[in-house]
Amino acid sequence: MSRPQVRLLHGPLNSKILLPASKQYSIFHINTCVKNKPYEIFDHTADIGIRVKGKDLKELFKNAGLALFQISSRKQFTKNKKHTVITIKQKAENLEELFINWLNELLSLSAAKGLIFYNIKINKLEENSLEALCMASDIGNYKVHTEIKAATYHELKIEEIKEGWQVEVILDV
Amino acid sequence: MSESCPLEKIDDYRWRIPKSYKPGMRVPGIIYADEKLLKDIRQDKALEQVANVAFLPGIVKASLAMPDIHWGYGPSIGAVFATDPENGGVITPAGVGFDINCGVRLLRTDLKYEDIKDKIKDLVYALFSDVPSGVGSKGDIRVSAKEEKEILVKGAKWAVEKGFGTQDDLDCTEENGAMQGADPQAVSERAYERGKAQSGTLGSGNHFLEVQVIDQLYDADICDALNLNLGQITMMIHSGSRGLGYQVCEDYTRSMVHCLQKYNINVPDRQLACAPVNSNEGKAYLAAMKCAANYAWANRQCLMHLTRLTFERIFGAAWQKLGMSLIYDVAHNIAKIEKHSVGGKERDLCVHRKGATRALPAGHSDLPRRYKNIGQPVIIPGDMGRNSYLLVGQPGAEETFFSCCHGAGRLKSRAAALRSINADTLLKELVSQGIIVKASGRDTIVEEAPEVYKNVNDVVSVVDNAGIAKRACRMRPLGVIKG
Repeated sequence: MSRPQVRLLHGPLNSKILLPASKQYSIFHINTCVKNKPYEIFDHTADIGIRVKGKDLKELFKNAGLALFQISSRKQFTKNKKHTVITIKQKAENLEELFINWLNELLSLSAAKGLIFYNIKINKLEENSLEALCMASDIGNYKVHTEIKAATYHELKIEEIKEGWQVEVILDV
Repeated sequence: MSESCPLEKIDDYRWRIPKSYKPGMRVPGIIYADEKLLKDIRQDKALEQVANVAFLPGIVKASLAMPDIHWGYGPSIGAVFATDPENGGVITPAGVGFDINCGVRLLRTDLKYEDIKDKIKDLVYALFSDVPSGVGSKGDIRVSAKEEKEILVKGAKWAVEKGFGTQDDLDCTEENGAMQGADPQAVSERAYERGKAQSGTLGSGNHFLEVQVIDQLYDADICDALNLNLGQITMMIHSGSRGLGYQVCEDYTRSMVHCLQKYNINVPDRQLACAPVNSNEGKAYLAAMKCAANYAWANRQCLMHLTRLTFERIFGAAWQKLGMSLIYDVAHNIAKIEKHSVGGKERDLCVHRKGATRALPAGHSDLPRRYKNIGQPVIIPGDMGRNSYLLVGQPGAEETFFSCCHGAGRLKSRAAALRSINADTLLKELVSQGIIVKASGRDTIVEEAPEVYKNVNDVVSVVDNAGIAKRACRMRPLGVIKG
């Protein structure tokens, strides 16, 4: 089967360190109370619902992408100092599809390559295409306490709000 | 939530959502529950999901929900529905779920509680150490790329050929541990990569290994036929197709979203993305889903092998001497083309079971010879603090396409559990009840606490009273290994 285009800038596990540790995003645990978190968790019987905000669509996509890893893992070690930068390109027929494909591509790459994404730069975002630079560190440096299998369309809501944009999405765990 | 959903009482264990509830429903919804369970079922959006499934083209008879029903994505968990491929019937990856062929198997042993009561802690810690578990866990069973494809076609038979079990195990596995028609070409490279090195690993979330003791017999004749008795030790294994299955579901949901427009299909939830069973897209998904299902059966076979080896080490005897034979292995997330009688005529239907177990009655032609007289063993795990059950399929299951519940069913969200339950207190409580728990993470223990589940005793009582499956015996947990 054909897959959406994913370009590895420096190879999946052998890339150079592109960002100093100080520039990495903090990884917050699900139970930790953190002020100004760009997402919150809402109740869903079997799975996890997250509500994410962003000042614009680019920030919304970035915050939602990072939230996947912030709610499922916690940095614990520095066993492997290598960092990986991956360019993700996605195409879709509409914004909702683009959003779900984007989150699922991050989850899939994370599981397949053994990476945790800690920073994202959305270079291009249109209603039906996206290009993002995603920075990741080896999964061995993290304690992954929740396995997110996928993001779903069920009750997906992307809407413009007073402060920018908001999305509600249910993740299968 | 689902308070506004109309429900008509059929009898004490059956409730109908009329077809008139939502324009577009092709059949009614039928929920198997009693008044007590229904109160909880109404608290989330599961009933709306039962109604949504009724929109699917080619759906036959009704959109069914078992008593462990709860809110999922697309269909609810505990959903059973069948579509007729000859009448435009569709197949939807959401009707199977991301963890394709998540399922459970039950092993008996000749050991009695008295034989193991002083060794339970050693056994639990040894199992935790010998069986890889946790998110993204990788196992010692390494296979080449060529062998990976072989696993997807041969399923549990691959493991048996490697020496990880016997022909007897395959006889006691649904589909003999491999669905025919699996096509490794229909599986993406990413799926292979995501599932790599995960054979023989438990995974995480609600997956578990459990050391149990039989604490109640309901039907002595059936238990005799299964060689089971009070005080006897059993082992339950719950796992699925790991990363490979998730990716197959994701790949085909991604492509089937476009089939909605292509085949002019109207569904109220895009997660119900689907395609006609007989379309190229439908056939490709089914061929890939079978690969993931076979991978899961191979995985549970490997997990059972590791479990048997651990018992050999702890009890100093070969597993055959310990009487560790497989009672049965059932899938509870799967779609299958099966023969069913509709309006007096036999039809090939695409039966989706998402959080539901097949339950064949005595005499059914698909049963292995040893179970022809008693019916198919139906394994229902409960939560880590209460009970699990072994049932057998009954003739009444014809109305559910020979399907039954798959567990207790969640009651509370994981987030709610993390807010309200303390791991240390919970572990102490479980120890005071004689239950030792070992898990990869403390969050998992809290998220899987007994109180987040419905009482399995209530759930099983409904399927028994409705004539779908009959209770044979009940087990209680002694030791639990969580991923």
